Amino acid sequence: MHNEQTLALSKAMEEKKDQSYNRMVEKFGDNAPARASGATTHSGIPIKSAYFPHDIEGIDLTKDIGAPGQYPFTRGNLPAQYQFMNWANQPVMGFGLPEDTRARMDHLTAKGMTGYFGQTNYNLVYDLVSHEGLDPDHPGARGRVGQCGMGVYSKQDMAILFDGLDLRKINVVHITYYQSIPALAQYIALAEDQGLSASDLRGNSMNWYHQSAYVGSSAFAPDNGQKLAVELISYCNKNMPRWNTTNMFGYGVEEAGGTAVQEIGLMLAYGIDLVRDAQKTGMAADDVLMRVGFQIAQANDFFEEICKVRALRRIWSTYMKEEMGAEDPRAMHVRIHCHTSGAVLTAQQPLVNLIRTTLHAFGAALSGVQAMEVSGYDEALSIPTEESATLALRVQQVIQEETNITAVSDPLAGSYYVESLTNEIANQALELVAKIEEQGGYIAAQKKGYIRREVEASADRWRELVESGERAIVGLNCYVEENEPKPEIFRVDREAEKVAITRVKKLRADRDADAYESAMANLKIVATDFAAKDVSEIGDGSLIEAAVAAARADATTGEMMSILTTALGWKTPHEY
Amino acid sequence: MSIDQQSEARVRVMLAKPTHDCHDRGVRLVARQMRDAGFEVIFCDFLVPSEIITNVVEEDVNVLGVSCSAGGHMPIFEDLIAAFKELKLDDLFLIGGGVIPEDDADELKEMGVKAIFGPGTSPASAIEMIKQEFAA
Repeated sequence: MHNEQTLALSKAMEEKKDQSYNRMVEKFGDNAPARASGATTHSGIPIKSAYFPHDIEGIDLTKDIGAPGQYPFTRGNLPAQYQFMNWANQPVMGFGLPEDTRARMDHLTAKGMTGYFGQTNYNLVYDLVSHEGLDPDHPGARGRVGQCGMGVYSKQDMAILFDGLDLRKINVVHITYYQSIPALAQYIALAEDQGLSASDLRGNSMNWYHQSAYVGSSAFAPDNGQKLAVELISYCNKNMPRWNTTNMFGYGVEEAGGTAVQEIGLMLAYGIDLVRDAQKTGMAADDVLMRVGFQIAQANDFFEEICKVRALRRIWSTYMKEEMGAEDPRAMHVRIHCHTSGAVLTAQQPLVNLIRTTLHAFGAALSGVQAMEVSGYDEALSIPTEESATLALRVQQVIQEETNITAVSDPLAGSYYVESLTNEIANQALELVAKIEEQGGYIAAQKKGYIRREVEASADRWRELVESGERAIVGLNCYVEENEPKPEIFRVDREAEKVAITRVKKLRADRDADAYESAMANLKIVATDFAAKDVSEIGDGSLIEAAVAAARADATTGEMMSILTTALGWKTPHEY
Repeated sequence: MSIDQQSEARVRVMLAKPTHDCHDRGVRLVARQMRDAGFEVIFCDFLVPSEIITNVVEEDVNVLGVSCSAGGHMPIFEDLIAAFKELKLDDLFLIGGGVIPEDDADELKEMGVKAIFGPGTSPASAIEMIKQEFAA
């Protein structure tokens, strides 16, 4: 990247600096802080005390960095980053009954929550009962209705949630675990009740089966999860051109204790497997990739987290173009919803978390993401209160409106440190991808337990560093307050559970029993048939169509999931 | 209380996690550290409390730790404590961990839960507590 003369100068400058620096190290001796020599990033990548032009030697300006909107998109997907449009505010919402969640949606809308080009978008998380594939009257649901998400289990619940909203004008992210198909089916059936069709809908399914490699809750058998993912992509490809089908859940890797390198390496490894399996059904790489997005964390190592995002854009686009056959630039883009890390927030001195989340959001803005959720400062205590959710939105708004960050794309490009670290993270992530490919791909590595072991080893290492004090956490292992005031805790009204149970029972009593029975009998046949198929034989949309027919007949999430889990296998993931 | 009537006896700990709750990073870390500390550790997922109760009886454990990071912990502990009373498992050392609000933790301790290990606590503190309880 530099001529011989610059390189020689650069190396000479570092040498001179090192001489004086090393004298300081010697002078301080044992009193020198650990970071004075041998510093590493949180991923364990060695870093120097200063960077020079020769540190980016070997990095190619066009092949590795490029310009905003130019392949390999290290500097951003589009020529413009935030100049014409801010990143979308996408706070996660969901608790209690559908009307409780709706009240929070309306509250944050009133506070200025804004999507792309001023649109309204809602990022809605379902509750644990729904994630487990149950209805609220199941014995296993006791105490969990509307916890950690909204208690929405049917088309009828969705009608309450979206009452009076024109579904064509809103963009809805349905944060489900493995109930993506029932939730999508219910949303389509609701649209039909409003005289719309599936093709009118805008939003996102998570298609998160791949998270069972590193997340704990019950899941489908990995091969069958993959088939369900491909089925949904195939259906949407034909019927829902504006629907985003899959969310690459890197955030879950980071929250489970994984490093920045693991977060992006695992997502690329899974993306490769997903494209490969979708291609077996006759889809092209572009058919899959144009509607794939990412959820990526921003945690505490400020520069590493920024470089991680830049590295991800580069390795994803390069691999998808060179190896997987992506042709349309949009199929090479990494569209990111950034979620600031919850795992690094503390229950101790909770207001301090506002400072952490501000730094996370600041880093995300510098890295160039498309949407953001900022965690509430009470994340380690409960579902966010209205106050903490509002403040989390204000963090985004302050950065967007007051700092002038939005004027310049990829402002850290060209920093010797940032380019060097971006390159190193990219290389290490590609090494992880190669190791997974050697095992036969992501799903094969998942089945061997490799992915879980790797992520857990990182979680253990993190914990050791916290316990030894090497990794400082303000309020936890340093600057501890003895007598902290009791924080305000958000609680879901326990009455919500009773109401949800009454509603689901009434729904079952009131619906057309014949229509329901016949739709469910068909879903069972289709699901059993689907389970027996190889991934290359799926993609005719029959499973989704059967689920939509069941949703039209007011089938609940628990009822549909009961058929799917029976047909496709359902266990806690470490038992697979 | 002592379990080393036989010199080989090791403390048997069961750690249980609701299948609903994806936040298993903490409990799996606790499981590994307890195993390294010399306990016999059994890890079980459960959908309903009756599954834990069956496992506790069958495995004859000394300690039961229930991890809950997503709300809904109160009904689980209520069911467990009622069942253990009925089964006269008075010696079972019941502890909890995860995101459990302080008020709930106080209530649970009144109900007979020995300790609640909230966010930020170290697995070592639970290990130390168990070691003291079951010291020879």
